[in-house]
This record gives sequence, structure tokens and C-alpha cells, in this order.
Amino acid sequence: MAGHMRRSLVIILIIAALLVFGFIYYALDPSQSGLFPRCTFLTLTGYKCPGCGSQRAVHALLHGDVVGAFKYNALLLISIPWLALCLYGEAQRTRNPRLYTRINAPLLIWLYLALVLIWWLLRNIFNW
Amino acid sequence: MQYWINHDGVQSGPVDAEAIKGMGLTSRAYVWREGLSDWVKITQMPELQGLYEMVNAPTTAQRQPASGEATMGEAASGEATMGQPYQPQQQPQQQPQQQPQQYTQQQRPAEPCPPTNLAWAIISTVLCCLPAGIVAIIYALKVTNKYNEGDIEAAKRASETGAWWCIASIILGIIVQPLTSVLPLLLASAN
Repeated sequence: MAGHMRRSLVIILIIAALLVFGFIYYALDPSQSGLFPRCTFLTLTGYKCPGCGSQRAVHALLHGDVVGAFKYNALLLISIPWLALCLYGEAQRTRNPRLYTRINAPLLIWLYLALVLIWWLLRNIFNW
Repeated sequence: MQYWINHDGVQSGPVDAEAIKGMGLTSRAYVWREGLSDWVKITQMPELQGLYEMVNAPTTAQRQPASGEATMGEAASGEATMGQPYQPQQQPQQQPQQQPQQYTQQQRPAEPCPPTNLAWAIISTVLCCLPAGIVAIIYALKVTNKYNEGDIEAAKRASETGAWWCIASIILGIIVQPLTSVLPLLLASAN
């Protein structure tokens, strides 16, 4: 019972956090407002990290601008369906272990890792 | 107490009684835990009473054990003649009588893969500005690789290390980073 309630509480907290952050990122434009955090990696090294531009991309996405989101951070857009699949697998891990190992197949994780590294390299070369 | 479950041929576990409640099992399920010599119908486990849904009609995919209604007490002795629950694609070495630790490198453990934390690794890679998420992805890779090799202990260790990388990355990215960005603003407005 306690475990069940804790699980529900975590889910409620996650949904609440998503709503709050969703509202903030919808209402304020990270490319205009100075309130949003700047990437520490970019500040320290001068190079973009794989996640740079994701705040602007989220703002664009919340306004329905998929193309704009892709331009700010293509990796974010590619990651969304991937993330959804992973979360589904995670929720079904003990109930459907075979599906879990299929989603988390080494080949797929390698593919994602390669995507991240190639994206990181290319965006710094071509200033994406 | 950890249980292994076989529900209509789909095996899972180890899980505790608390988790069994959330699994949506029916009275068709079979259970095994340490101390039992063979799989037992979930209805014959008094300690699991009320954690599953009672159904009458068995599905066509399920075969009833030959003499299943024999007295199958708490710690069943070896002479009880329980039939095996129907397990498609099941290899003989996957019977839960063996402890997961006893599996050799070639055999696939019946235990589900430990969490790879890949979802969190993706979140920390894309949303936190530190390349720590990439380390977490590499650990996710290690979890499935070790699991596929049958080295469940190494997979669990990799799973735990990966989880710490995700936590560190998310704390640094979502809590420390905004603070370091907002602090100069606050200081400027204070002056």
C-alpha cells in the first residue's frame, strides 16, 4: 500500500512540475528573457553542448512551431519519441521484461549515443 | 520475500508481494519462491491472498497441471507431483529452482533486466547542459550488454552507477545551473 501511494505521489509531482514548467516555457521566450539559465558548458568552453538551444526549442514546440524547434535543437525533437518509448518500457519493465530488453537493445543505445556525439560535433563545426 | 511469477506463459520476477499487487495477476498465475520445490498456483499461496483477481475460465494457452490440486502447503516437499505451468519458448535451465547467481555465462537469467535508466540519460543529455548524460548513456549500454552476457550482478552495478550519473546531471543541470544564472541578476538588482 505504501509503495503504491508513493508511486502515485511521484507521478502527481511529475505532472505538476511538467505543468508549471510548461506554463513558464510557454509564457516566456527564452531567447528574449534574461531569466532563463545559460548553458554552463557553453559559458566555460565556448562550445555548444548537445542540449544547447533546448529551452528555445521547447518554447517553439509549445507554440506549435516544429520547424523552429528543429532549428534550435534537432536532437531534442528526435529524442521525444525515443524518450516516450523508453518511459513506456520502464513502466512495463517487470510486467513485460522481453519488451524492455528489446527497447534497450545495445544496438539502439549505440545508435542514440552515435547520434548525440555526431550532433555535438557537427553543431560546433557548422554552428547549428 | 522475492517471488517469481508465470502468468499465462510470461515469466517475471523477482518481485515482492507489494509489487505483485500492482501486476494485475489473475488466479491463473503460478508462483515460485525460495523454499518451494516447484511452481505453485497463486491460489495455493495463503500469503498472497487478495493480491490477484479471481477468474474461473482458464485460457486456451494454459494447461492445467495433471494433479494440481494435491496438497501444496507452505514449504512443499519434493514428492508433490505438480505439473509445470505451460511455458512457451522456455528452456529447461530457466526453471526458477536455480538461483539467479547460479546461472552460467551462456544461460539467460529469468530475472528481468535491471533498469538501464536510458530515459533519464536522454533527459539529462538533452535538457542539462553537462555532458554527464553521455556517461549515463554509456552505462545504460553496459547494463544491457552485461545482462545479455548473463552477468546479472555486473548489470545491477552498472545500473546503479548510471542512476547516480543521471541524478548528478539532473541536480547540476536543473538546480545548480539556474542558480548560477540567476545569482548575478539578484546581486545586480540588490546593488
